Amino acid sequence: MNPEFRRNLWLELTPRRAILMAVILALIFVAVALSGGKDYLPSSAAETLYYLIVVFWGSRNAALSVVGEIRDRTWDSQRLSSITPGAMTWGKLFGATIYNWFGGAICLALMFAYTLSHHGTAAAVIDLFYFLEIGVIAQAAAMLASLAAVNRGQKHSRFEIFLYQLAGLLAALAVFYVWQAADPEGMARLGAPLTDTIVWWGQPFPPRGFLLVSLALFTAWVLVGCYREMRTELKMPNGSLVWLGFLVFIGLYIAGFDAWLSQDSQMADWNPVALRLALAATTFCVLTYIMVLLEPKDRVQFRWLGSQVRGGHLARAFSGMQAFMLSYFATAICTVALIFWLNTLRSEAASDQALVGSALGFLTRDVGLFVLVQTWARRRSDFSTLAILLALYILIPAILDGLGIKQAMFVFYPQATTPLWLAPVVAWTEAAGVWILTVSRLAISDREPLGQAA
Amino acid sequence: MSRAMRFWYRGVMIEVHDLVYEYPSQRALWGVSLSVQPQTITALVGPNGAGKTTLLRCLAALEPPYGGQVAIDGLDSRSAPREIHSKLGYLPDFYGLYDELSVRRCLTYAAWSHGIKPDAAAAAVETAARRVGLSDRLEARASELSRGLRQRLAIGQSIVHSPKVLLLDEPAAGLDPQARKELSTLLLALKGEGMTIVVSSHILAELEDYCSEMIILERGRVVGGKPIVVRKDDRPRYLIELATPRADLGEFLRSNGATDVIEVSDMRALIAFTHNLGARAKLVRDLVTAGFDVARFGESTRALEDAYFAQVAHEAAQ
Repeated sequence: MNPEFRRNLWLELTPRRAILMAVILALIFVAVALSGGKDYLPSSAAETLYYLIVVFWGSRNAALSVVGEIRDRTWDSQRLSSITPGAMTWGKLFGATIYNWFGGAICLALMFAYTLSHHGTAAAVIDLFYFLEIGVIAQAAAMLASLAAVNRGQKHSRFEIFLYQLAGLLAALAVFYVWQAADPEGMARLGAPLTDTIVWWGQPFPPRGFLLVSLALFTAWVLVGCYREMRTELKMPNGSLVWLGFLVFIGLYIAGFDAWLSQDSQMADWNPVALRLALAATTFCVLTYIMVLLEPKDRVQFRWLGSQVRGGHLARAFSGMQAFMLSYFATAICTVALIFWLNTLRSEAASDQALVGSALGFLTRDVGLFVLVQTWARRRSDFSTLAILLALYILIPAILDGLGIKQAMFVFYPQATTPLWLAPVVAWTEAAGVWILTVSRLAISDREPLGQAA
Repeated sequence: MSRAMRFWYRGVMIEVHDLVYEYPSQRALWGVSLSVQPQTITALVGPNGAGKTTLLRCLAALEPPYGGQVAIDGLDSRSAPREIHSKLGYLPDFYGLYDELSVRRCLTYAAWSHGIKPDAAAAAVETAARRVGLSDRLEARASELSRGLRQRLAIGQSIVHSPKVLLLDEPAAGLDPQARKELSTLLLALKGEGMTIVVSSHILAELEDYCSEMIILERGRVVGGKPIVVRKDDRPRYLIELATPRADLGEFLRSNGATDVIEVSDMRALIAFTHNLGARAKLVRDLVTAGFDVARFGESTRALEDAYFAQVAHEAAQ
């Protein structure tokens, strides 16, 4: 048996704790059966308790599965062990939450029995799938958030642990929404328009089947994410192919929803290819921002990459690229393809092309800013960058707007200008300036060592 | 690692070349180079904040170097960190135990997690428990152990898989004299079984009993540029003290070809000399015959301290 899972079994699922959980749940169910009336049955209580025990409490335990080891000073010995990243990942994910799953299993059994007797086998199996899915994705997302923070070298205060748990809860909320959306009655409850099909890549699909398959795929990617973060923690190189695979998946997945965009008046005359390129580029752009914020911006890694590129070892350099770099290049490729595609579509596409071109320029500038600020302020540098971006995108434009200088907004975010070339030229000039500073700062910090150790 | 590098590392268990390590706000190691021979116990000494823990973590392949190279048994820490992990036992200065588990389960988990098969784990656990003197407490919970016994359990977890290299960060901190003595005996036994051990401490007296080599680290640099051999098993250090001062003590000892004079004054001499009983008896006899008023002749118990201050003084003079 996986040693990490076994150790968690020893610690978490002791006979005393197991009996305690079973007795308390049994008492609650009996109490609800005797006093809950017709509106609140034991199966309803089981559902509520399942969310509390597996989703809410379980995501906290999953977030603590590595952070707790760091706090208790046992993580180094685990990192030095021979446990593989895969075994460590599932051993922790399901081991640290085994007590929650034990309680959850009791609740599930009750719910399953109720649904089986009242709604038939198919409904019971589908419900079972949903509840397992929401538990796994909540816990895996919390663990992924905590591992990403560990790799960034974050401290782990109670508030930060709550944030990791919150990541799991938000993932669970997304699953809950998707599940409701997959159920016509649920859609009505959420106030969303009723629909009997989802159009994806031009093909209609039944919502429930489509969303459940999507859910399974996203859960698999979250688990892959946990595995990759664990590899990083265990000092194993990850390579770029998995993230590239994710980019291809998410690009194709999101691009398939072009039918939703085609009703947009600004894009009404875009054809499906342009819409799909725009969707993919936007998705990659969002991923670039997320990953450049989350990933460590390590000068040693940048230096190594530079040496590989200078030496012509492009395959090696590619394998060492971080997720934000790959996401940026994917954005750039899709954006350039979109600019060319728009050109072939319409004679009056220049305005859209200028906007798209300046958006890519601002993204390039912002990625440079994240790296540049890291070379200046190594502590909390990402917060400093976010503050700068807040000023650039919101505060300064708001002040200028207040002063009535609206024509200068193109300096701060993509906006149509006269002449059209002005907006992209300004955006790319800003990007070039930031990157020249960034590269020179990296070169200086490479030559000049830091202060003496205390 | 290239074949040429493997050749270079051959015969050396730990090789560090121009190691640089930086924390976000400061550089902790400044071009550290050193090599450690197999089956030795090396003391890593220096004041608090000298970089000892950082160096040990780099040796354990837990921290990637900013610059330079670290090789353990011919494996590069950048390219083969997991292979290095499998050859290592590492006890950090602030370690944790699973308090709710019994000693047996703590050791069993350590054995399994180091790849020991379940059918061989029980024997490995018994061996590790015996080595660290916990055979009679296998069913006790870790939280019930005293500080010294917890230290032993932590060491037991580090050696349960019989690693080639054992890195100990301040292992004797907080131990009582009896526990320190037992630690010393254990480390010498592990060395005898073929283990290469590096022990860090800022208290030299802790290391006197078992360390044969010493690396002095100050402000992230190795003082003197290399490890110092402080004790050879076949040529221990002896302290000679006279009741009456004699200016020619050094000259007399140097004239004896078998004696290496390390330090000498009119009243006192520190020498390296053979372990042979007959030779030692003859040296004492020669001293007395030559009219030296020998008040004491015995093995030096402060070899590390002597070597440390000699090296630091030498460095300061330069």
